[in-house]
Amino acid sequence: MSGRGRIVVGTLGLDQHEVGAMAVAHLLMRHGFEIVYLGRFNTPAKLAAVARDEDADVVGVSVHSWELAAYAGELVELCHAAGAAVAIGGSVLTESDERTLAQRGVDATFGPYAAERDIVARMDDLVARARACAFGDRGAAPDGALAGRVVAVTGAARGLGAAYVEHLLDAGAAVVANDLDPFEAAGAVEVVPGDVADPATAEAIVSTALARFGRLDAIVANAGLLRSGPLVRISPADFDLVQAVHVRGAFLLLQAAAQHWRREAKAGRPAAGAAVLTTSAAGLYGFLGEAAYSAAKAAVAALTLVAAEELARYDVTVNAIAPVARTRLTEWMDDAPGLAPEHVAPAVAWLVGDAARHVTGRVFEVGAGRVALTGGWHPVAEATGPADGATLERLVAEAPPPRPIKRATNGSDTKEETHVQPV
Amino acid sequence: MVTDAGIAVSAVYGPTDVDYERDLGDPGAFPYTRGRRAPRPDGTTAGWIQRELSGEGSPARSNRQFHALLAHGAHGVDVIGDTPSMAALDPDHPMCTPAVGTGGVSLCRKQDFVELFDGIPLERITASHSLPAAFALAGQYVAARAVGLDPAVLRGSAIQSPMYCEDCSYATFMPFPLRMRLALDSIAFSTREMPRFHAYLEDTYFISDGGLDVVEEMALGFVQIREITRRLIERGLDVDAFAPRIAILVNCRMDLFEEVAKVRATRRLFARMMRDEFGALDDRSLATNVAVHTSGLTLTAAQPINNVVRGAVQAMAMAMAGVQGLEISTFDEAFRTPSHAAHVVAMRTQQVIAEETGVGRVADPLGGSWYVESLTDELERRIDAEVRRIEAVGEIGELVEDGFFRDLFLKGMDRHAQRVQSGEQRIVGVNRHCVEADEDTLLRDVAEERFEPDLDHVERIRRWRTERDGGVVAAALAGAREAAADPAADLMRPIVAALDAECSIGEIAGALRAGYGLPSDPFAA
Repeated sequence: MSGRGRIVVGTLGLDQHEVGAMAVAHLLMRHGFEIVYLGRFNTPAKLAAVARDEDADVVGVSVHSWELAAYAGELVELCHAAGAAVAIGGSVLTESDERTLAQRGVDATFGPYAAERDIVARMDDLVARARACAFGDRGAAPDGALAGRVVAVTGAARGLGAAYVEHLLDAGAAVVANDLDPFEAAGAVEVVPGDVADPATAEAIVSTALARFGRLDAIVANAGLLRSGPLVRISPADFDLVQAVHVRGAFLLLQAAAQHWRREAKAGRPAAGAAVLTTSAAGLYGFLGEAAYSAAKAAVAALTLVAAEELARYDVTVNAIAPVARTRLTEWMDDAPGLAPEHVAPAVAWLVGDAARHVTGRVFEVGAGRVALTGGWHPVAEATGPADGATLERLVAEAPPPRPIKRATNGSDTKEETHVQPV
Repeated sequence: MVTDAGIAVSAVYGPTDVDYERDLGDPGAFPYTRGRRAPRPDGTTAGWIQRELSGEGSPARSNRQFHALLAHGAHGVDVIGDTPSMAALDPDHPMCTPAVGTGGVSLCRKQDFVELFDGIPLERITASHSLPAAFALAGQYVAARAVGLDPAVLRGSAIQSPMYCEDCSYATFMPFPLRMRLALDSIAFSTREMPRFHAYLEDTYFISDGGLDVVEEMALGFVQIREITRRLIERGLDVDAFAPRIAILVNCRMDLFEEVAKVRATRRLFARMMRDEFGALDDRSLATNVAVHTSGLTLTAAQPINNVVRGAVQAMAMAMAGVQGLEISTFDEAFRTPSHAAHVVAMRTQQVIAEETGVGRVADPLGGSWYVESLTDELERRIDAEVRRIEAVGEIGELVEDGFFRDLFLKGMDRHAQRVQSGEQRIVGVNRHCVEADEDTLLRDVAEERFEPDLDHVERIRRWRTERDGGVVAAALAGAREAAADPAADLMRPIVAALDAECSIGEIAGALRAGYGLPSDPFAA
């Protein structure tokens, strides 16, 4: 921070009034302010990220059309998290607009006949307040660890997915949130409804992240559903559905994101991408009465290991978590505080952040007050020679007994129709 | 005393030496100072095309607006796109949704153009397009064919501004070489396929309405006309094949006589330039068509009812200047694209001028006014000198890319703002004769009325997108991308083919950007 104040100036969204933004920039420069000029086609996330990177005091937006109101709340939230004030000015603003923007937290507005001396005085005031951290901490606060990053989360309408979204937003990220049906979400969130087993949904998630926020840094493949029941009773259609949502869904999103990150890497812009897939103790150890689900989650765990190895060359990490949480699908669990979905979210946020760039191909169990790093299949007894009955018999005798398979649910057949992730 | 453009004026003017044949000529005769056309054989003048800028919400809603305006006596329509359409982005783009239909009509596919012009007699009236020109021309072309209308009968205009659009609120996130190719290809296409259409409308309105004076306005207009003309001739086109289809849409602010003189000087400069520098022989190449859109910059958010008076004064000036088409920036201009009430007031203003004042009885009624002739000569001299000055600075493409013109726009806006702040530029209701906000109520409710984005139309586009043949769409977009990547390829053929293949304008524009190695989406840059 230096001089009279450091101001990021640009337009927001589709607003084309760049000459207005430039005129304001020149006006402020005449009065000794330092300008970081951004031009057109900016998203709130971009303006805030630049404010953070440039240690700016104020983000000033020139407006010529009024649809900016749709993004004003998000702009304020992100800029304040970056420690910068928000000022919006343009001849199109009515007194009513100025009131609306003030209600959404905009710190200063300038209508059609704003006098130059008033603009300068207000900017001086905003700079002083920003430097006193009136809008937010300007340092590298832990809450802002994901500032400027864009994360896509599937199955985000409720349960674990919703908890992830809330936590990621708190950490400063922007989120593309998917679920089967449309839903309401506040803050820097763009909702992309659709079936994760449909390739078009994965493509829409990636393209929306790029179009709305200008980048995609991470995916969290969380969508899931449950079709429980003994092996002898589960229908082929239910089996296929479970595989489609868990395995195909995770694969499609991972592939679409990886293709984007690969393009970026080849264009000389390695994206430091991160993928978090969702497996389960069911997939790692097996659950009685959950044959289809266990098979699907085991596949996701294997997918994690292979993808991590293949994508390392593009600077992409791939990890999985096996969450333990009480959600709508696991109501049989105790209602203990440690089982709230919110306890799993910090692990996801860490895995998609800068601090975990060295971690890939790992599967964590998280929840219920416990975190475990798990290992994959490995030999527990070995022999050389013919693969005959005697050899196999000897190995079975030498190896420790297998871990008993637990019953995950209260034993009833579950027919859930939601994409909320069970554990 | 000086005019808005800083020309010193005396309180009284007397006779000056005028070479009538050389500098004026009769209306309809070289150098066309007094008008493009001679009076009709029956002694009447042609008058002007009365129209108003329109478009809001979906194409169907805008179509109803067109029908209403025509029912109120409009002679033509002028379509303005909403901000997504102006940026060549689709309504279901996540950054576009809040702006769909709020500042113009949403247009992104062939069906939209068909619905927009449903029942409009395009063989009889003119359709002007305030939209990205190549897409507007392609859209109009495919829509006409879709309803069995021969595109050759279409009349109207499309704004071409490859040099200035990125700096003047018409940004499409395309590099200058691509913008220029689109302009040249679409003019050549239209000359071939839509020969009655003015495929090159030089719009000095929007390059000036930031605050440039009339000399800068017309100098920049001429610099662009000359650059496009040179490049079309370099391609092997005969100047007389396209010059008759160049029209100029000027601005009109409040300095009434200066604005009249500007139009007269423009006609004279154009005629001389086309004949003497570009070798045009056809009279239609020399006599340019001038239309006007009265100034939005002069209209005020304060006391919006005063804007009705400003529109009337400006329209009167332009009627006396002998323009071919006229649109009044409506009293709610400071806040929105025109409301229904504003449309009706603007149409009635034009009709009162045309039918009650008798101003159109005589061609060039101010011709011979010592003051107006003096101003016309002085403006011709100053505009011509400014054109030469700019062209001497450097190669035009480099000037565009180096921000030379952007700097002119910026200085013009800054200068205007400072003149208003200081009171040097007197504006009633802003720095003169102001009233308290609670007294400023006349027409304010109507002026500030807004409507919500058309989310139903967004859903319509989302559904349509899933119903298309993905293979056909992808192939057409690949064709557009490959054409863009090949500097020698024509761009209009793949654009028309892509619209016919149910590609959206956002997708086509994205493919063109990708062909130039840019991100297809401006927000992903």
